[in-house]
Amino acid sequence: MVKLLVEATALCKRFGTRWALQRVDLTVAAGELVALVGANGSGKSTLLKLLAGLLRPDGGRLTVAGHEPWREREAVMRTTRFAFAPPALFEALTGREQLVALASAGGASVAARGREVERALAALGLAARADDRVRTYSFGLRQRLTLAQALLPLPQLLVLDEPTEGLDPVAVRELRGLLRRLRDESGIAIVLASHLAAEVELLADRLVVLEEGRVAFAGPVEELLAGQEEWVLAVDRPQAAAAALVAAGFTPRPARERDRADELRVAPRTGTGGASGLPLARLQELLGGAGVVLRECHRDRPRLEEALLARAVATPGAPEPER
Amino acid sequence: MIARLEALRLLRSRRPLVAALALLLFLALMLVGFWTYAESRTRGAANFEYTYENRSYFNGLTFALYAFYFGFVLLLPVFAAIEGGAQIAGDRGAGLLALLLTRPLSKPRLFLAKAALAAGFVTLLTGLFLLVALLIGLFAVGWGPLRLYPGVLQMTDAPQFLARDEALVRFLLAWPAASLALLAPLSFSLWISTLTRSAVNAVGSAVALYLVLHVIAEVHFFERLRPWLFTSHTAYWRGLFAESIDWREAARHALSLLGFTALFLALGFRRFRRREEG
Repeated sequence: MVKLLVEATALCKRFGTRWALQRVDLTVAAGELVALVGANGSGKSTLLKLLAGLLRPDGGRLTVAGHEPWREREAVMRTTRFAFAPPALFEALTGREQLVALASAGGASVAARGREVERALAALGLAARADDRVRTYSFGLRQRLTLAQALLPLPQLLVLDEPTEGLDPVAVRELRGLLRRLRDESGIAIVLASHLAAEVELLADRLVVLEEGRVAFAGPVEELLAGQEEWVLAVDRPQAAAAALVAAGFTPRPARERDRADELRVAPRTGTGGASGLPLARLQELLGGAGVVLRECHRDRPRLEEALLARAVATPGAPEPER
Repeated sequence: MIARLEALRLLRSRRPLVAALALLLFLALMLVGFWTYAESRTRGAANFEYTYENRSYFNGLTFALYAFYFGFVLLLPVFAAIEGGAQIAGDRGAGLLALLLTRPLSKPRLFLAKAALAAGFVTLLTGLFLLVALLIGLFAVGWGPLRLYPGVLQMTDAPQFLARDEALVRFLLAWPAASLALLAPLSFSLWISTLTRSAVNAVGSAVALYLVLHVIAEVHFFERLRPWLFTSHTAYWRGLFAESIDWREAARHALSLLGFTALFLALGFRRFRRREEG
């Protein structure tokens, strides 16, 4: 039986008259990496703070590692670690002092604590700056130290808020590797809130899309992108091609940022069996009839970022409430 | 762990240094004040050691007591308020409270560690103030018997005389007594700091309210309110410099102050325990 570390059922949270979360259902199993994505104000941070027991739910049920975070925060924190954004650190302490002090709260022995701290420093590439005061750290180093404290000691559930923010590309890649290892080798469940869809696409087993405090989608990334395949046509006269396609009952799709000027996208007609329902021969015939030369043609599907952007444009998020 | 962390943070912060420098500056100002006062009252004829009131009146112990009196009214409550305000609101504003609360630490333990550390710091600061004031008095003027007379400062209702060694014992007693008196504004500030996100707001509000309550406690018009204000009790340590100490009265004030401290801490903890850290 799969061990569920997070179980939220119809979880609600209200700030004043505004509902920040409305009947959110969420489960996270051991060894699973779940990404929370959504626009600003969609409720990601609120959900993370509810998981941490920093906020009290206004409805529904939430357990983390079998405990209610608001009522049993201490018990939750014995198995769960958090790294919130932006990084909050003790400026006057050195990186090592900060980690030792926070590791001590876990009840580990001095020797075990020392080993854990060294491991975390090495894992996040902080060993060389460990004895410098935190106030001398760059934003990226602060981010790494925040992540390092979240690994002390290794938890069953790791909750990360925008963990790659401020990191250079090499550090991002290393962090990705570290998170995969934590998940695959240590069986740690990870909840990751991020704006960076590219990161999420590379890492997440499951995606939870929040829109205005509601779960708009929950499932694998593949599932979100399924059925969104489309043709990308490179033609000599894009406008004429678009008109010909519309006349034939096809729907041109908006160009993507990565598209060239001579490219246009077209969705298959409903009931034609997806993009494969628009065979190449039919396309050439259609465009040729309109005097358009088809130079290239391939099937494509949106990247996660594009899919999320399309959703966000369709349902613009409300701004985060002032508290 | 949390007590050690908080102590390390305090030591590494600039607060102890700023507080010590402020106290030294204050004592230097007091020294200059006494000096110029004696000069102006005697048109330059008097030595610093003797003020206009009585040639045998002023010495290093008098200086230390007066300096402490003014420091207790004007300076130490501000540092107590700063210490209290920095504990909760300061950490909340910087996101550090959320960091601490995501460790397996209970809120009571966290709150008590912060309160105890702040109280310890204020006690040390009070002791440092007294010690430095006494040393300045010793080296700048020299110690002697402590003579007090009724005056505008209301140090005493009747003339008092304490031999030097006895006076030094009273200074030693005044340290814990004054420190206890400062626990009330400290816990008051700690309570205020649980209500706000900004340490500046917490400290500013606590200092402003303390000053208002202090003035109210001094104005005869509010005589009926006095027993209900903690500021009515904070100056009780002055009674320790009487020839015959009224221990019963001192205990009454001390217990009242402890009661106020417990009340403010309870209110602060209640708020801290229930408050969401969003």
